[in-house]
Amino acid sequence: MNFEAVIGLEIHVEMKTKSKMFSHSLNSYSKLPNTNTTEYDFAFPGTMPTVNKQAVINAIRVCNALHMRIDHELWFDRKNYFYSDLPKGFQITQQARPIGSNGYVILDVNDEKVKVNIERLHIEEDTCKQLHLRDCTLLDYNRAGVPLIEIVSKPEIKNGTEAMKYVEKIRDIVIYSGVSDGKMEEGSLRCDVNVSIRPCGSDKFGTKVEIKNLNSTSNIQKAIDYEIKRQSNLLLKGEAIQQETRRYDEMKKETVLMRVKTDAVDYKYFTEPNIIPILLSDEFIFEAIDTCPELYDQKLTRYTSELNLSKYDAEVILANIENCKYFEEIIKNTNQYKLASNWLTVDIQSYLNKNNQSIKDFKISPKDIAILIEAISSNKISSKQAKEIFNKALNENGVIADLIKNSSNNLISDEGELLKLINETLDNNPQSIVDFKNGKDRAIGFLVGQIMKKTQGKANPSLTSKLLKQEIDKR
Amino acid sequence: MNYLDLGIIDIHNALLEGKTTPLELTKEALKRAKEDDHNAFEYICEKEAIEFAKTLTKINENKDNYLYGIPYTLKDNYSTKDIPTTASSNILNGYVPVFDATIVEKLKNKGAVLIGKTTLDELAMGGSGTTGHKGTTYNPYDKNKERLCGGSSCGSAVSVANNIVPFSIGSDTGDSVRKPASFNGLVGFKPTWGKISRYGLFPFAPSLDHVAYFTRNVEDSAIILQALEGRDVKDSTSFDIENKNYLNNLSNYNLKDCKIVILKEVYDSMSDKDVVLKFDKLINELKNKGAKVEFVEFGKDLLEAIFPVYFVISCAEAGSNNANLDGIKFGQRIDGNTYQEVMINSRTAGFSELIKRRFVIGSYVLMKENQNELFLRAQKARRLIVERLNEVMKDYDLLLLPASPSIAPKFKDSSDKVNFDYLIADNHLALENFSGIPSLTIPLGFKFDMPYGINISSNILQEEKLLGFAREIEKITGLKNLSIKNFKELEKEAL
Repeated sequence: MNFEAVIGLEIHVEMKTKSKMFSHSLNSYSKLPNTNTTEYDFAFPGTMPTVNKQAVINAIRVCNALHMRIDHELWFDRKNYFYSDLPKGFQITQQARPIGSNGYVILDVNDEKVKVNIERLHIEEDTCKQLHLRDCTLLDYNRAGVPLIEIVSKPEIKNGTEAMKYVEKIRDIVIYSGVSDGKMEEGSLRCDVNVSIRPCGSDKFGTKVEIKNLNSTSNIQKAIDYEIKRQSNLLLKGEAIQQETRRYDEMKKETVLMRVKTDAVDYKYFTEPNIIPILLSDEFIFEAIDTCPELYDQKLTRYTSELNLSKYDAEVILANIENCKYFEEIIKNTNQYKLASNWLTVDIQSYLNKNNQSIKDFKISPKDIAILIEAISSNKISSKQAKEIFNKALNENGVIADLIKNSSNNLISDEGELLKLINETLDNNPQSIVDFKNGKDRAIGFLVGQIMKKTQGKANPSLTSKLLKQEIDKR
Repeated sequence: MNYLDLGIIDIHNALLEGKTTPLELTKEALKRAKEDDHNAFEYICEKEAIEFAKTLTKINENKDNYLYGIPYTLKDNYSTKDIPTTASSNILNGYVPVFDATIVEKLKNKGAVLIGKTTLDELAMGGSGTTGHKGTTYNPYDKNKERLCGGSSCGSAVSVANNIVPFSIGSDTGDSVRKPASFNGLVGFKPTWGKISRYGLFPFAPSLDHVAYFTRNVEDSAIILQALEGRDVKDSTSFDIENKNYLNNLSNYNLKDCKIVILKEVYDSMSDKDVVLKFDKLINELKNKGAKVEFVEFGKDLLEAIFPVYFVISCAEAGSNNANLDGIKFGQRIDGNTYQEVMINSRTAGFSELIKRRFVIGSYVLMKENQNELFLRAQKARRLIVERLNEVMKDYDLLLLPASPSIAPKFKDSSDKVNFDYLIADNHLALENFSGIPSLTIPLGFKFDMPYGINISSNILQEEKLLGFAREIEKITGLKNLSIKNFKELEKEAL
């Protein structure tokens, strides 16, 4: 029997706002536990929630990127349950009326377009962080009340690869819209996966298994593909699938049982009485969308169609938002986009890799890289010289502009001098002239190489090849 | 020294004339508080009050600030920084808040002196004044201590009726200020929901909770509203509308321009002949002064629904609001081996049976399988009742009703159970909590030397009008500045 998988994803995204979702305490990383807190975060009696406007703006931006219907009234509900990490005994969330509903994303999976529909996006607040020690549990309220958005897909995803691409897509959106760091490994983007399987063509759903604590997109893929195999094997053996929660064990490369699920908890939802429904005007929503930073997909289109970069180059730049920001800074000062891309993704990146640094630590400013690129493209310096300058700037703290000046002084751009060199070279290489005239363009490269050798790379390269062609034509 | 027997304006004038000082008033209020034997106080702020009163040396720079140096008391369900706050519940034993409620901050800035935190029915749930963790609070008018004080703001009512302070802040979710005001011969006022910030008020049922307070006259109520009203960024339900001229504008209202409506079913449900007689007398007098008084049928089914609707909604919200009291973070913790055990042990020991009953009901009505039939149905009924109330009120300035079926009942006659004899008469004050309109109780008369009052309400945000007409009614009843010290004299001259 053949089975098909039915996969749904719930993604929680921590928003990087200045303050928390419903209180004015700072929403930032702090090493000291319980320092980013106010009386609301501890649920002291009499405290009341006030809605964080920026969090709402962020949610609207993500809704828009996911093509969702945006609710023009903001409603919040209480989700009631007792847990040690839940200060108030309820979480404020949006159950009845999520801010976003009925969206979708288009994924690129093995060069095919796959559409995944999204059921809802809602705003809520995070719980405390717990640290379980041997004989006690410590609570850190710094995380309590951090703004979250939860994005719930329709159960339409068919395999691990699609799920991975889906999460990557969402991650790109939240990162590029400035909503979140989107770091799975640090928990600012968390993903729960529901997997069930059924015989191909069946319209009934099988028993759902939840997989939690997935800390990378590749683990999502591996966990799901493993889980599909596990469930298929069980069914083929005639065994039932339990409703349970599992986690992915990276070492064993398999999913492991955490707990068997009993009846669903009744959260006794009702409307939060301390927040009067907030009307979101068309202007407010438009403004939120209009001022949204350029998203990944928009940048990808712009890079390939306007900047004429290859899709591959564009994707390499966009793989890291900090690199992307650096790239955007370079091209503010030069329109040599291809060179800018090459310098960033090859020279700068290999330097960073070698020194185990990120672009944020990089010493040379994007403006200086632009100056360097301009010098190359205007033939003031050769590529070889540019690389020397780059290394000098990094290793000897040289100033790019000064280094260029020194190098370009050495560059031989005098036509008389160059013509002398060229004719000497042509005289010594008659076969190359014949080759060139027979259509072998490579011969030019060889000849330029000879001239460079003679001048230790100081001949102005474009002028040299121009004069070279002129002289060959004369012969 | 008897300045504390006066209204706020007279005390203020005595301060301006140098006849007394904030410190002297404070010491006298503290003395009276300590002498009180009605179980009105959870905590008397002796040290804090004297320390603060000593700083109040600039009366001449506060000529227009009526609250400067005026002692007051506060229901123990408001957060007070560094002062223990228990809401009269064992679960909050030992809890010392780290912040002041917005109204406490405002009163502090005005120079009003907090004398003590007053007792209440546990967590403000109840109307008898008998269910706090310190036991029964007694009605100061009843020397035999046989009659209820009324609640939940029982200690606050005592402290004003007994002339310990000229005003006290309570809270009103169903009638928790306006009912005890009736039983203690006081003005009890609940402005529009959102008029005064609730930040720092321990929530019972936020959609019904109001900051409310007791005074001995209407002018003082106007003064307190001016001090407390206004937008608070910490309470997003608070209004951005301020008046600040209530006191000056009191005299702008004349009864001959006043259209008054009485709900016929409520009037018909009044079974105490003496109260009805006095009520009729008032109606006549209002008509004599030119007011138009009309009876309107509200709908008996709607009025009879008030109590069950109130109970379902308030219990549902209460269960959720008090889920933070779990022994983990603050208050009284009873240890256990797991977090579940800590919560169960702390909550089992911390709440009385009455509170647990409400939580169970609240939880029951919110359960998935019951929510439609109970909670959501109650919400719909609330909407219908409010719509009907607004419809009735739109042609009138005031809604006039008895504030209680009679004088305070005896303890043995009362219970926490639903009293079907008084299903309408005892519960109609929740109308104004459902709709959030301003509502004020004012003394009307006496029976067996026990006071009872009437309740008047106006349309939303019409506090100025309500206070203006209330003062005109106060002139008719002749019971201004009523207290247990002067009631026998006032009664002689009264309506």
